Amino acid sequence: MLALRLLYRDWRGGELRLLALAVVVAVAAVTGVAWLADRVAAGTEARAADLLAADRAVEYPQPIPDEWQQRAQAAGLNTALTATFPTVVLAGDQNRLVSAKAVDDGYPLRGELRIQPDIGAAENRAEGIPEPGTAWLESRLLGLLGLGVGDTLEIGAMTLEVAAVLSFEPDRGQGFGSLAPRLMFNHADLEATELLGPGSRVRHKLLLAGELATAIRFTDALAAEHGNAVEIESPGEQGRGAAEVIDQAKRFLGLAALLTVIVAGVAVLLTVRHYAERQITGVAVMRAMGATRRQVMGLFIGKLLWLGLFAGAAGAALGYALHVAMLALIAELLGTELPPAGWQPLLTGWLTAGAALLGFALPTLSRLRDAPPMRVLRQDLGSHLLRAGAPLLVAAAVIFGLMALQAGDLLVTLSVFGAVVSTLAVLTAVAAGVVYGARAWSRRSGQARLLWLTGFTRRPLTAVIQIVAVGVGLMSLFLLAVVRNDLLSAWQAEIPPDAPNQFLINIQSDEVDGVRQMLTDAGIETRFYPMVRARMTELNGAPVSAEDYDSPQARRLARREFNLSWTGTLQSDNDIVAGDWWGDADSPPPQLSVETEFAEEIGVDLGDRLTFGAGGRSVTAEVTSLREVRWESFNVNFFVLASPGTLDQLPRTWLTSFHLPVVDSHVLNDVIRSYPSVTPIDVTSVLRIVRTIIDQGSSVVELMALLTLAAGVLVLLAALQITGEERRFESALLRALGARGSRIRAMARLEFWLVGAIAGGLAGLAATGAGVVIAEVLFNLDYPFRPVTLVIGALVGLVTVWLAGALGARRYYRASPMRLLREG
Amino acid sequence: MPVETGLEAGTAAKSDKGSSSSVAPILEARGLAMRFDAPEGRISLFESLDLSIDAGDSLAILGTSGSGKSTLLGLLAGLDLPSAGTVVLDRHDLTKLDEDERAVLRSGRVGFVFQAFHLLPGLTALENVMLPAELVVDRHARQRARDALARVGLADRLAHYPAQLSGGEQQRVALARAFITQPGILFADEPTGNLDHRTGAQIIDLLFELNRDHGTTLVLVTHDQAVAERCHHVRYLRDGRLFEAAA
Repeated sequence: MLALRLLYRDWRGGELRLLALAVVVAVAAVTGVAWLADRVAAGTEARAADLLAADRAVEYPQPIPDEWQQRAQAAGLNTALTATFPTVVLAGDQNRLVSAKAVDDGYPLRGELRIQPDIGAAENRAEGIPEPGTAWLESRLLGLLGLGVGDTLEIGAMTLEVAAVLSFEPDRGQGFGSLAPRLMFNHADLEATELLGPGSRVRHKLLLAGELATAIRFTDALAAEHGNAVEIESPGEQGRGAAEVIDQAKRFLGLAALLTVIVAGVAVLLTVRHYAERQITGVAVMRAMGATRRQVMGLFIGKLLWLGLFAGAAGAALGYALHVAMLALIAELLGTELPPAGWQPLLTGWLTAGAALLGFALPTLSRLRDAPPMRVLRQDLGSHLLRAGAPLLVAAAVIFGLMALQAGDLLVTLSVFGAVVSTLAVLTAVAAGVVYGARAWSRRSGQARLLWLTGFTRRPLTAVIQIVAVGVGLMSLFLLAVVRNDLLSAWQAEIPPDAPNQFLINIQSDEVDGVRQMLTDAGIETRFYPMVRARMTELNGAPVSAEDYDSPQARRLARREFNLSWTGTLQSDNDIVAGDWWGDADSPPPQLSVETEFAEEIGVDLGDRLTFGAGGRSVTAEVTSLREVRWESFNVNFFVLASPGTLDQLPRTWLTSFHLPVVDSHVLNDVIRSYPSVTPIDVTSVLRIVRTIIDQGSSVVELMALLTLAAGVLVLLAALQITGEERRFESALLRALGARGSRIRAMARLEFWLVGAIAGGLAGLAATGAGVVIAEVLFNLDYPFRPVTLVIGALVGLVTVWLAGALGARRYYRASPMRLLREG
Repeated sequence: MPVETGLEAGTAAKSDKGSSSSVAPILEARGLAMRFDAPEGRISLFESLDLSIDAGDSLAILGTSGSGKSTLLGLLAGLDLPSAGTVVLDRHDLTKLDEDERAVLRSGRVGFVFQAFHLLPGLTALENVMLPAELVVDRHARQRARDALARVGLADRLAHYPAQLSGGEQQRVALARAFITQPGILFADEPTGNLDHRTGAQIIDLLFELNRDHGTTLVLVTHDQAVAERCHHVRYLRDGRLFEAAA
């Protein structure tokens, strides 16, 4: 209790406020991420069955045979059918790519559907499914088509009336990747749309619910009978893709939060050192009066624990608010409701507070137990007490430990730790070069410059610390805000102006000539590519399983169907880098050419034999060449190409791509009306959606970067606090010597400007540098080095530090010169 | 025995040390009072003090610790404003000026020597001495500072930082700083308070030499009777009143 009382006194004296604030910011960053990740992940797990809308689902490339449904019902299972496919709907002169879903009675077997009677009206649980002849649409689709409830639209050969606004669908997925808006209609209308041609991209599902053992027996039997043709889905698998994304995002955000903890840790180190210095005499008096070293330690540990308790709770409260804000930013991406927040992140918050205080503050404070009692007689004794590097080593060890906890992998920890340390080292080296250079320059040039630069160059060490701390915060912010935008723009700039912006897919073989004719009539000459959707089933005779791969992308490729094609001529944007192309021979032997990165991802090399299966049939061929593809041409390209004739066994559709100026969009409507099963994809709008997703995702990370910047500002304020006495004295002395207040404030302002401009300039430089590296190495983009980022950075840094500095140091510059006499 | 006085140091106390000057006073205080609010109520440090000193004269204010002599020095130099009364420095009524106007008045005209030296730790001896000259934008600040340091015997210590200098050397740097702008009046607050007796005596010798060379008016606060006696005039501050020293 003595510790609590003393803590209260320290708090009232303003001694510990910055320290507490630093802990609050660190805890807010960590708990905010913890709550976000927990709730999104718990949402995924708890609703796993809902996410499937069933206990088990059977996916089949053709309409589900009636017999299956009857068998399942006979076994006592509830059933429902769904069919999902991309298609285009027409409303007046508007057309939109939608993800259409036909459902039958009983859907959903798990979870619930929610609808609104009209846009903006209250949401209700849906009783049943859309009546035949009607459809439920997501509100954004209504907006895009300019429709309201009661209006009609065309889907294939069918006209449907909009009966309600679809606001929630349990098995919509996590939204990551499901870009097209939903249209839901009655399964009974599916035939009448005439969209079920061979090779069409319909996913038919039989949903099952009931006793789990019965469901599993039933699906096992189906799998035994039909082999690879059926795919059995269980709730866990359904959420796996989303879970992988969430897990990666959690790790990334966790490490971002750690950056805030590190910068806040620097603020703790600085403030606690300052605090400890002012405690030496007090401790010496206590020891002179008989306090033991153990009692002194106990007192300070007690203070830290109390402080951790309060600051941890306050930080967790801020973290909670932060996660609510982050959830709001990605609401559209999430698309589902989340379970209520748990209390575990609060514990995480206290642990973080504990780690920050015990790791960053205790090593310094614990040295106070050695305060010499003789100091009560000789003030010079014990001043060396805090001069030791040990607290820095402990702090580095704590940071490493926290990183290891967050990353859960030693190699990742080492590389992230290395990256952070080297970034800090480079920033420090450059900042020190600038500050000490300015110091040397001002010394040499003499005259009034000495005075103007005095504050900045007289405290070079604190200037460097401030520059680095603020610089790290600004750098992460710029990297997200400026460089991301530049990267996206650079990517879009690389797309040639006449690059294809429309794709027509799902063209049946007997429709190719008709579609080609319509396009030719509209002045569009284009090439048609055959496309086979197949799953890779065997590699060199051994079955391929998703579990064989580590990377999420390879797992997805192994699990999903993907697109193959054949051709006799190599496109100009393809280069053979290994093996030989089969050439234009009329009937070359069956062989495959694989794109290099894809080959690397799934572990395929020249001479390997791949087996692809679709619709119950399969084809095996040898890989005889590897290709590099320039995807940025935006032409149609395929990971795997086969020699002509190789894929003849498998069902195929055709696709084409072309550039369509906006004014000609009626051509598309004509094609869709004549050939309802053909699906157009408007690349421009897909790009826009991708950009929206990236923007939303990165706005969450930007919030984290803002917290890092806040921690950087705390370091700035801590450094100001440490130099506060010095500033007061300087200000008083200059006043006594005849300097006006405006002159003293101008000197301080210049110091803040310099610190801010250098920090911001360095941050801008580092962020653009990182942008160039990211563009060249990861995306192979031409990303020009933009000096303007440096200028913007310098300006933002200048204003940030100026405002924070003016706020933090204001009181130091009101010092009366009389103190020079009183302190004499 | 000290005798209470309301008379001016420069005119009425000629007998002290035989100052011959009779020009208008460079510094004049009338009815000076200083009061503080304390938990036990309002405390008066001193009331109704009158004081005046002519240009080129020197005045010592003696007193015990806590008698208010440093506060009085601060008021005379315009570092703070009195609770009542006026201070006229070089024909300017300080009590009618704001903080900035007083600062401008001080710059170049007023020099200071403090008990704790008060050098800026991050600046070299040379830079510390240059500081007041740079405040009045003197183009020759660097050369003047060199000369001033040479004058106090520190020509070989220009690039030293305060921490690398002894107490006596630091106070010499402070003296060089005080004289670099050739101020009309110098205020010294216990200039030997932090020095041993011998070094203190050397500093006082130097102070009076410089004072004589530059013709500067000197106001000095001390508790050292011997130092005080080297001034033309001596006053005691006790119980809030100013007494003239006994002959």
